[in-house]
Amino acid sequence: MDFDFTSDQEQLRDLVRRWVHKDYSFEHRRALARAAGAQGIDPTGAWQALVGLGLAGLAVPATHGGMDMGPVDAMIVMEELGRGLVAVPFAAACLMGAGALRDHAPAEVQAAWLPRVAEGQARVVPAFQEQGARHRWQRVATQATSTGGGWQLSGVKQLVPVGGDDGVDQAFVVSARHQGAIDSDSGIGLFLVSASAPGVTLAPHALQDGSRAAELVLRDAPATQLVAEGAAAVSHLIDIGIAALCAEAVGAMDALLALTVDYLNTRKQFGVTIGSFQALRHRAADMKMQLELARSMSYYATLKLTAPEPERRRALSQAKVQLGQSMRLVGQQAIQLHGGIGVTDEYAAAHYFKRLTCIELSLGDTLHHLGEVSARMEDSAGVFV
Amino acid sequence: MDLTFTSEQEAFRRDVRTWVRSHLPADISTKVHGAQRLTKDDQQRWARILGRQGWHGYGWPREFGGPGWDAIQRHIFEEECAMAGAPRIVPFGPVMVAPVIMAFGSPEQQARFLPGIMSGDVWWSQGYSEPGSGSDLASVKTRAERRGAVYIVNGQKTWTTLGQHGDWIFCLVRTNTECKPQAGISFLLIDMKSPGVVVRPILTLDGEHEVNEVFFDNVEVPVDQLVGQENMGWTYAKYLLAHERTNIADVNRAKRELERLKRIARAEGVYSDLRFRDQIALLEVDIVALEMMVLRVLSAEQGGKKALDVAGLLKIRGSEIQQRYTELMMLAAGPAALPFLFEAMEAGWQGDQYVGGFPGGPVSNAPLASNYFNYRKTTIYGGSNEVQRNIVAQTLLG
Repeated sequence: MDFDFTSDQEQLRDLVRRWVHKDYSFEHRRALARAAGAQGIDPTGAWQALVGLGLAGLAVPATHGGMDMGPVDAMIVMEELGRGLVAVPFAAACLMGAGALRDHAPAEVQAAWLPRVAEGQARVVPAFQEQGARHRWQRVATQATSTGGGWQLSGVKQLVPVGGDDGVDQAFVVSARHQGAIDSDSGIGLFLVSASAPGVTLAPHALQDGSRAAELVLRDAPATQLVAEGAAAVSHLIDIGIAALCAEAVGAMDALLALTVDYLNTRKQFGVTIGSFQALRHRAADMKMQLELARSMSYYATLKLTAPEPERRRALSQAKVQLGQSMRLVGQQAIQLHGGIGVTDEYAAAHYFKRLTCIELSLGDTLHHLGEVSARMEDSAGVFV
Repeated sequence: MDLTFTSEQEAFRRDVRTWVRSHLPADISTKVHGAQRLTKDDQQRWARILGRQGWHGYGWPREFGGPGWDAIQRHIFEEECAMAGAPRIVPFGPVMVAPVIMAFGSPEQQARFLPGIMSGDVWWSQGYSEPGSGSDLASVKTRAERRGAVYIVNGQKTWTTLGQHGDWIFCLVRTNTECKPQAGISFLLIDMKSPGVVVRPILTLDGEHEVNEVFFDNVEVPVDQLVGQENMGWTYAKYLLAHERTNIADVNRAKRELERLKRIARAEGVYSDLRFRDQIALLEVDIVALEMMVLRVLSAEQGGKKALDVAGLLKIRGSEIQQRYTELMMLAAGPAALPFLFEAMEAGWQGDQYVGGFPGGPVSNAPLASNYFNYRKTTIYGGSNEVQRNIVAQTLLG
C-alpha cells in the first residue's frame, strides 16, 4: 500500500501543468468563452495541444500505438486539467471513449479505430444521456434496428461532450435499445456512430461553466454494434468517467483553495489582512478538510476502477458522494470568503465554482450516488463472526 | 500508487488476527461489541495478556522491548484488535508517557518504569489539564518547588481519565514563574500513593465516573522522577501530543461501530426506511474517506517522508464521526433509547420487573443514550476541534 507517484508520473503532471501555465491562462479561457457564446467554448486549441503532448493515446494499448497508461496516470492528467479549468473533452474521448473501444469493442473495430484515437485523428465520445432518464443509464429510448448486415439508430442523446469543428473524425459510443422495455437492463446495445454518417445531427450548446456539449439527434443513422448486451459496459464507462471527474474536481478545488488563501492573506479590512480573523480562518480549515477528504476519495475511486464490479460500483458511488459534498462546500465558501469579488465574472473563483457545480451534476449527482451506496451497504466480513 | 497490502502484511494480519481472537476473553469482547461498561479488571486483564506477548507497547521499538513494528503493522494490529472487540488500550502508559521516557528519560528511569508499562501491571494517568488550563495548556499553575532531593508539588489537575485506577501520574508542573509560560514547565512522574495526593470523581452527563480531579497538597516527589531537564517540559509535552495524535482518528473502531449501527437499525426496523438508511450510507462514506486519509498518512510515515499536512485533520474528522455513529445508534432506537437505567449498561443485567426485560426493547438498547452523551467529549479532549482548526489554519494561512 502506497500513495506515491513514480517519477514518470511526476513528469506527466509537470508536462500538463507547464502547458496549462504557458498556454491556458484564465484570461485565455475567458476570451474563448466570450467568443463562443451560446455554442460553448470551442475546445479545438486545447484538444490539439493535448494531442501534441501525446496524451490522446494515454489509455490506448501499446499494440494499437497508444501509451498504455493506467488509471493513476489518467487521474494525474485530470487533476491538472481541473487545476487549469481547461474546457476539453479529454475524459470523454481519451478515457471513456477510448475505454469503450479498448474494453468493449470487437477486435476489428479496435484495429480500425484505436490507432487513430491514439494519434488524435479520431475522437470517440460516449452518448448515453437521454431526456427524462436523469442518472438511470439503463433507461434507453433510442432504438436500434437490425438491417440485416448492420444496424440503424434513431433517438435523441443529450449532453454529449463534443470537440470542435477541427477535422478530427468524430464518433459516438451510443447506448441504444434493440429489445425490452424502456428501463430494462437487458436489450441495451452499445453502438459506434460516426458524426459524418447520414441521419446524424449535432446541436452544440454551452454548459453552466461555459464549456461545450451537444444534443445528438439520430434518424436511421447507420451504426456498428460493439456489444449486444451493454448495460455492464455502460456502468463501467460511467465509472471511468466518475473517477476522471473526481480527479478534475480535486485539481480545481486545490487551485480554488490556493486562490482563497492568497486572497485572505492579501485583502485588508479594519487595518489588517482578513486572514487574521478566526471566523474566516476556521472556514479555510473546513475547506482544507473537504479538499483532503475529496483527494482521498479521488485516489480511492481511481484505485478501485480495476476492482470487480460490485466493489468498483460501490466505491465509485462513495467517491462521488464525498466529492459532491466537498465541491459544494469548497465552491460556496470560496465565493463567500472572497466577498464581492467572488461573485464577479472577471475573477477566476466564480468560474471554478461553476465548473465544480457542473461536475456535481454530471454522471450522477450526490443524491443519486448516495442512493447507490445506500442500496449496496453490506456487512464487512469478519467483524461479528 | 497501490491500495493493496503486501503478502507479508497480509500474513502479518492473519497472525495477529489468530492471536487476538484466541487470546481475547469472550466476556470482554461481548461487552465491547455491546458497548457495555468495562471494569478496571477488564481493562487490566487485556493489558496483561498483551503485555505477556510484548504487545501492550505495540508502538515501541525493539530496544525497549517492543515489537518494532512499522506504521502499517501498527495500523493492522489496531484494526484487528478493534474488529475482534478488544478494549482500546488505555493510552496513558504505553502510548503517551512511555515514548517520552524513551526519548528524554534517563536509563535508570527507562529501566524503572518501562517494564511495568509494557506488562500492564502499572496503571498510568495523565496530569495535564487544570481548572484554568484547558486548551491553553501552557498556563498550568500546579507548582513544583525544588527542596533538596525532592520537589514539593502543590496544585490541582482535572479531567484525569480513569485516574481512580491510577498508580502513577505524569504531570506538567510549573518550576519557573519568571519567564514566558512555556519556558517554566517541567515533566514530573508522581506516585499517586504519595501522601498529599487526593483523587475526587467528576460525574459526567452520562452518569459515569470516568474523569477525576487530582489534588496535590505538599506532595514530595524525588528529583529522580523529573524527566529530562527542568523547565523543558513543554518540549516533551509537545512530543507526547504528536504521539497521541497518530491513532486519534480511531477509524478502525468506527468501522466496527458502523456495522453495529446497521445491526441496531435492522433490529429497530429503520434499516429499510430510506430516510434513515441514507444517513447510514453518508456515515459509511465518511468512514471510508477517513480511512483513506489515515492510509495516506501511514503511507507517508512508512516511506519516511515529510509528514502529510493532513495529519491535523484526522482528529477533527475522527471525533466528528465518533459522535455521529453514537448519535445515529440512539436515533435508530428512537423512543426505545429514552429509558436510562445506569445498571442496565452492565453485562448480565436482568430487569425481570419489565416485560421483555428492559423498558426500551432489547436490553442492548440500554447504553445507546449513555454512549451518545459520553461521546460529546471527543470533540473537546486532545485539543478541542476549534483549537485543531486553528492549527490547520496556521499551516494553511501562516
